[in-house]
Amino acid sequence: MAIAQNILDIAVAAAERGGAQKITRVNVVAGEMRAIVPPQLAFCFGVAAENTIASEAELNLEIVPVRGRCRGCGEDFAIKDFSYICPGCGGRDIEITGGTELRVRDIEVL
Amino acid sequence: MKINVMTDVLEANDRIAAANREIFNRNRNLVVNLMSSPGAGKTTLLERTAEALAGKAKLGVITGDIETSRDAERIEKHNIPAVQLTTGTACHLDANMVASAFPYLDLSRIDILIIENVGNLVCPAEFKVGEDCKVMILSVTEGDEKPLKYPLMFRESSLLLINKIDILPFTNFNMEEARANALKMNPELEILEVSCTTGQGIEEWVSWLTQCWQNRVESLRSA
Ligand SMILES: Nc1nc2c(ncn2[C@@H]2O[C@H](COP(=O)(O)OP(=O)(O)OP(=O)(O)O)[C@@H](O)[C@H]2O)c(=O)[nH]1
Ligand SMILES: [Mg+2]
Ligand SMILES: [Zn+2]
Repeated sequence: MAIAQNILDIAVAAAERGGAQKITRVNVVAGEMRAIVPPQLAFCFGVAAENTIASEAELNLEIVPVRGRCRGCGEDFAIKDFSYICPGCGGRDIEITGGTELRVRDIEVL
Repeated sequence: MKINVMTDVLEANDRIAAANREIFNRNRNLVVNLMSSPGAGKTTLLERTAEALAGKAKLGVITGDIETSRDAERIEKHNIPAVQLTTGTACHLDANMVASAFPYLDLSRIDILIIENVGNLVCPAEFKVGEDCKVMILSVTEGDEKPLKYPLMFRESSLLLINKIDILPFTNFNMEEARANALKMNPELEILEVSCTTGQGIEEWVSWLTQCWQNRVESLRSA
């Protein structure tokens, strides 16, 4: 709920700065690591957005898969099913390089 | 029309957390954000910690709960200053809520401040409150696959306490699996097995904590 409210606050502030009347879409980039549950977030966003310039806005989530880089051999790969093992050399010393972000990327306004 | 935003969703919280951090620096507090599922043993750990730290370091506690609970009272019985925060609908403490406890605590007289977060494995890991480190408790009555389901909390934590090991034989909790899963999420995670009931492992936990505090004092001195 707090996350949805933060997204709304950021979107509304950006729209107001841009002199927009209405927000039609909010594009959020969410790393898989953040364990965001899309329907739940969309629901909370809808509730928070009631009676605001975002009341009809669609919340669009772009889920970014977790990526890792092997400290052993340097291989860069997508981490599936939380398997932190290098497909190149079988090494387990993996640095997470993506999939931890949670950001409002842009908004579409009228 | 499209407007570029590129703002971190938690930016507002992180700004307040940074302000809290300044206050903790001024007061030379080591601040630990303690997280777990409901009932994993956070308050009991704080009670054991209060006893073990007596005469060594001054402990202070902020405890957060969705409804009023008796956690602060339990801790105050050990002559430890404790502030109870009721979060209402929020399932975590955020930086602002933690700041709201400052008027009720004399931070200048506290060495180690432990913040007992709301029992929840998801949201508390998202909200920084100005802490030095996060410590999480996993009890053996929960599953050993928990690290796979809640990766962020395990990633963010410096120390994992596996609690209630006194009842390990009566559960199907697999210690090896749990350790392996936790390290998969965070290879640098330190892990201690404890029982807040029998006191097993508490000494190791308290020496981990006092070591962190000494490191903190040292780094503030050289800053
Ligand atoms: N057997 C056993 N029980 C424990 C241990 N530690 C805590 N408990 C019990 O677990 C229950 C919950 O402990 P609390 O310390 O209140 O847990 P908590 O994490 O503070 O709970 P919330 O604040 O409600 O999330 C209590 O009945 C404790 O007595 C332990 O090491 N072994
Ligand atoms: Mg408690
Ligand atoms: Zn490799």
